[in-house]
Amino acid sequence: MRLLVGHHLTNAYESLRSNRMRTALTILGVTIGISSIVVILSLSAGAAQIVNNQVDQLGGTIAVIRPGTPDRESQINTITANISGSEMTSSLTERDVKDIEDIDHVTAVAPIMILGGSVSSDSSRPRNIQIIATTPGMTDVATIPMAEGQFIDTVTNDDTAVIGHQLSIDLFGTDTSVGRTFTTHGVQFTVIGILKRQNNPINFNNVDFDHAAIINLQSGKGFNQGIATIQQINIRATSTDKFPEVLRQVNEKLTRNHHGEKDFVILTDGDLARPSTQLFSTVSASLTAVASISLIVGGIGIMNILLVSVTERTREIGIRKALGASNIHIVWQFLIESLVMSLAGGIAGYFAGYIIAFSIARSFLTFDPVFGWSIVGASMGTSLIVGIVFGLYPAILAARKNPIEALRQFH
Amino acid sequence: MTIDATAPVIALDGLTKRYGMGEVEHTVLDNINLTIQKGEFVAIMGPSGCGKTTLLNILGLLDHADDGEYLLDGIPVNTMSSSHRARIRSDQIGFVFQSFNLVSRMNVIENVALPLTYQGYPTTKRLQAASKVLATFHLSEREYYMPWQLSGGQTQRVAIARALVNNPAIVLADEPTGNLDSRSSHVIMEELADIHRHGNTIIMVTHNPALTSYASRVIHMIDGRIDTDTQLPRPAKPAVAPKRKLGKKSKKSQKVETA
Repeated sequence: MRLLVGHHLTNAYESLRSNRMRTALTILGVTIGISSIVVILSLSAGAAQIVNNQVDQLGGTIAVIRPGTPDRESQINTITANISGSEMTSSLTERDVKDIEDIDHVTAVAPIMILGGSVSSDSSRPRNIQIIATTPGMTDVATIPMAEGQFIDTVTNDDTAVIGHQLSIDLFGTDTSVGRTFTTHGVQFTVIGILKRQNNPINFNNVDFDHAAIINLQSGKGFNQGIATIQQINIRATSTDKFPEVLRQVNEKLTRNHHGEKDFVILTDGDLARPSTQLFSTVSASLTAVASISLIVGGIGIMNILLVSVTERTREIGIRKALGASNIHIVWQFLIESLVMSLAGGIAGYFAGYIIAFSIARSFLTFDPVFGWSIVGASMGTSLIVGIVFGLYPAILAARKNPIEALRQFH
Repeated sequence: MTIDATAPVIALDGLTKRYGMGEVEHTVLDNINLTIQKGEFVAIMGPSGCGKTTLLNILGLLDHADDGEYLLDGIPVNTMSSSHRARIRSDQIGFVFQSFNLVSRMNVIENVALPLTYQGYPTTKRLQAASKVLATFHLSEREYYMPWQLSGGQTQRVAIARALVNNPAIVLADEPTGNLDSRSSHVIMEELADIHRHGNTIIMVTHNPALTSYASRVIHMIDGRIDTDTQLPRPAKPAVAPKRKLGKKSKKSQKVETA
């Protein structure tokens, strides 16, 4: 059985061209659906790309330990953990940090304790920010460039802080605020350094450094009844070939410290990007669900127009059957017409999505969307499925027509 | 499956077709027994509603019989799958309709080439073959006309060209001249007679007794049954037939009928 794809393509082209307006509006329905999916996917890929780049910059020797069970959390947990997890108790302890420091080939270890809290200066009203309590080793395990002053180190005392560029402007009205003071949790801190503007709220530390204040771990413990609730431990190994061995030892020591209980996760490379990516993919999944509604509407448009087309061409179907077309031929004729419309919508939607994603990113976001073959595949695949799903019923309806009755119809 | 060369092209045994059910059941074809040999030109006549068209549709595999057997080239068609039937329609049968039934959005040559599409010919070959057939019908200059730009006679000639393009063994014509004036009718009949001379089997439904003179056999149907079945002596030179005057011909056919 020959499928006569070429013949059906010419035929579909002719038939769609003869109803240009109708065809264009039908295709538009699919275009809108596909373009919104392309926008969502490319922007979330862009967000994931940022984190991946950061990890790559650090040379593949960074590992992050987080509390929690190693089995994949559900996506909804990931969202809540990232947003409100700062106050929750953690299975990671200072002892773990010390033990990791003792492992060979570990160049830097930085525990991160994220505290919420309001800060205020003489000249500003209180505002809620993220306060990060960590150790000086932090600079070695994450790219944190300084604009002015210095990072916290072992010599500086407990009541000093490094603040983000934007926070400095918010608190003091200037980005050169070294030496000025602010108050949080009833303690006065002196600013000893300002971070460079990063404009990068998405990173594997889950911290927006532009709006954060970094203080010493000891001060952080002071705000929490002297107990460190460590949300994350960043580790850096000396070189990539020593990295697996380091990871093995870290795993071993922590397991021993935690009495054999696997209540921590060691993340490396791609895994590091996952939590932030997961947040985005959850958001983008829900947006995609909304976008697919418009795709369904587009598909219904195709089906509607094809049903009209089948009715209009009932007589033609009868003639074709009398001349030797089998049911399969008729099914293909209409299915290909449906596919031509949905794929045209898919291609148009991809390019529309490309333009929209870039204009959104350039006007509102800090990163560019990323377009890979996966997005091309997703948009083409989706439009293909839409074409088949919504074209099949009209096509089968057409093929089922009784040729004698079809020939009796006058149009 | 071997095909017996001496077997009749069409053999019907007790063919019955009913519409409706229960009290409104209506028997359109009632126990039809008929054999048609290769190369016959059969004219089926009868009043409206006697089942001529239904019979033709069943012969053309567009419709199913409810009872009885239909052997096409010695092969029973009742058990064939729908795609097998479609293939037979495509390879062995050519249809000519009263209302021409050209696809209105295709031009003449595309219409003629359409049956070849379903035999899987590539486009160029298809159009070449269509062009060749159209030339034999003196329609070469009309190849790129649209169907609505043609006269009735021309349209029917295109339709016949389309029915012949796949070289069918059987041509089924349902009142091919029903929508034409008598002059065009005779042109069309002459074309059919010419096809017949080339050895094709032709089965034609008609109302017009004048046209039966082209046939080699006339079957009269009444109420779904075959009433009379007359073999006509073949004219020695059938090509002469169209040149005769109309009146003469109808007289002759009347004579045959009364005989």
